[in-house]
Amino acid sequence: MASEIETGTKYIPEMSKTEIEELNSSIKEASIKVIQDNIERMKKAWKNRPKAMEYFDGISNFFGQREKELKEQKQAGKKIIGYSCIFAPIELILAADAIPIRIGSGWYDTAKLGDRIMPVEICPVIRSTVGAKMVRLSPYLELSDAVIIPLTCDGRTKLSEILSDYKEIWRMNPPRVKDDPHTLGMWKQEIMLIKEKIEKLTGNKITRKKLKNAIDTMQKATKAFRRLQELRKGPPLINGRDAMLVNQTSLWDNIERWTEKVNKLCDELDKRLEKKEYSSYPETPRVMITGTPMIWPDSWKVPNLIEESNPQGVVVVDEQCSGDRILYDPVGVDEWTTHDMFDAVSERYLMACTCPCFTSEHGNEDRINWIMDRIKEYKVDGVIYYVVRGCILYAMEYARIKRVLDKMGIPVYYLDTEYTREDVGQMKTRVEAFLEMLEARIEI
Amino acid sequence: MVVSAGVDMGTQRVKVVIIKDGKIVTQKQNYSGFEPSKVAEQTFNDALKTANISSEEVQHITATGAGVGMVLFANSTISMMGADAKAGTYFFPTAKTVIDIGAEDARAVKCDENGVMIDFVVNARCAAGAGTFIEAMGRALEVELEDIGPLSLKAERASPINASCVIFAESDVVSLIHKEEPKSEIARAIFDAMAERVSSMVHRLGISPDVVLVGGVAKDVGFVDSLKRRLGMEILIPEEPLFAGAVGAALIAARRAQRRQ
Repeated sequence: MASEIETGTKYIPEMSKTEIEELNSSIKEASIKVIQDNIERMKKAWKNRPKAMEYFDGISNFFGQREKELKEQKQAGKKIIGYSCIFAPIELILAADAIPIRIGSGWYDTAKLGDRIMPVEICPVIRSTVGAKMVRLSPYLELSDAVIIPLTCDGRTKLSEILSDYKEIWRMNPPRVKDDPHTLGMWKQEIMLIKEKIEKLTGNKITRKKLKNAIDTMQKATKAFRRLQELRKGPPLINGRDAMLVNQTSLWDNIERWTEKVNKLCDELDKRLEKKEYSSYPETPRVMITGTPMIWPDSWKVPNLIEESNPQGVVVVDEQCSGDRILYDPVGVDEWTTHDMFDAVSERYLMACTCPCFTSEHGNEDRINWIMDRIKEYKVDGVIYYVVRGCILYAMEYARIKRVLDKMGIPVYYLDTEYTREDVGQMKTRVEAFLEMLEARIEI
Repeated sequence: MVVSAGVDMGTQRVKVVIIKDGKIVTQKQNYSGFEPSKVAEQTFNDALKTANISSEEVQHITATGAGVGMVLFANSTISMMGADAKAGTYFFPTAKTVIDIGAEDARAVKCDENGVMIDFVVNARCAAGAGTFIEAMGRALEVELEDIGPLSLKAERASPINASCVIFAESDVVSLIHKEEPKSEIARAIFDAMAERVSSMVHRLGISPDVVLVGGVAKDVGFVDSLKRRLGMEILIPEEPLFAGAVGAALIAARRAQRRQ
């Protein structure tokens, strides 16, 4: 059986220790530079950048304070549970006193390493995550005791196989149709299976009280997130890429500390709202980004382009699982019984999700509605539909979303790219033309 | 009186247009070569001379094109798509879709009645829908660039070419030559393949007539014929399609000059 298949048939090729070490240190050095460069650009574009942003700059460094903290906590006996996608029930990980951390990779350099075992047509997020594992680049993946991989798309399905050469992998099997009668029950079983695995790994039981506390913690995070989002609905008070960084750091920071820091940032922004101290001029074209997850730091090339373009745009909202989708919905509990809480967790992670892996009689209804609602709330002037090559689900949904947006009279641009810096020049031309168009519409 | 200039710095050529009160006075073009900034300036000065206009009289200069940053003397810039929309509706007020095919890229722009772009699509990753494709195929066929079009019109059918990539299409063409297929039919196949790519790009945008074709490739009768057949409709082409980008930029420059007055 399994034993016969196992020997000598692993995915990842043998690499010498020296090669791994050399690649690790050169890519790490390059990545630290990209992180610093992004932060410099963000500071330059926003003269009066709030003090509170400094905290997020610090926590955005994968090889800094957070890595150190995690190592210490791990030594003290805490378990770290990685996850590849936001279908993973964070509340359950927190309730078992473990640390949740997202492991998806945004390094362009490691995507090239992934090419050693996968054709280039495969989604670069997957190739890059595998490449990072090959050279042990991601501290979060390295420190994980187990990794939850929901099988949302084909890439992630096979990713779970490849990573299982190294790590304990817990697969989750999300249904693709939300409204079938058996769907929610099936998903709840997945959630309960993960609960058992978490309890077994940590040795901690997820009690009623602990789960309630965890739900409470995440609800507070959602509240802070929504407070920040509320401030993005009016004239620009914060540049989009700064807000995107804040939201994305919630995936690896200590969530309670993150919540506190976001509230501090909002306090500063509140004062600026009173003084009408905007981050860019009030008529700046307002852009929504939707599509493939845009993972820090390398994928910041897109928001950098939008907000440094001439004419300039400001990203006011996104529909991405690397951004506004992470914390948008809290777990909603009616009765604080154990049974009800697990029901609520299951429902939140399935029903509220707008992943393109879903389908229904009316297409991916929830995603379409979500986009339409946010466009109205955030007074979006235009949508950038971001897709990396090989990201099939987002690419395929575009035609339908475009029709919907055409009907609403909202321009949308399909920005296709790769995990590469080589196409920045071409992308700049396209992004500038799009923003020019939005600006011309605003003028009229 | 408003005098303005548009400079279109393309991937192969730099084009300059000077406009006086809404009318084109001069248009000049040159290969941009290895010193594009210098060539742009020379071409501009050349245009001024022909038009008998001093550089002080030009109230605003707008640059566009892939090398827009190389036009150091411009007062402002406009995207290539914005310039296309403006030029398309200037030549043909009924234009709703403007297709621009240059040396290295192809794009299509949808515009409203004011010549303001409302949507666009670019084919920038692949040269198979652009002018260099014809050049590469001409080399394979050993036919001069300007002769491929007329040659293709003699064919009643097209040889089969499956590849849509320049590199693969070239090897397709070579094997057709080895099979001794008539050159005219191969030529037609080349234009059909190119038109196929351009039309699927335009279809992604949604075609609304009237359709205007601009850019250097619009002068190629073979391509125009294939594209007409593929789109199943008439295509409007200005007399000097190569200068469309520069005309659009000059019109934008005129508007910007007026706004400043």
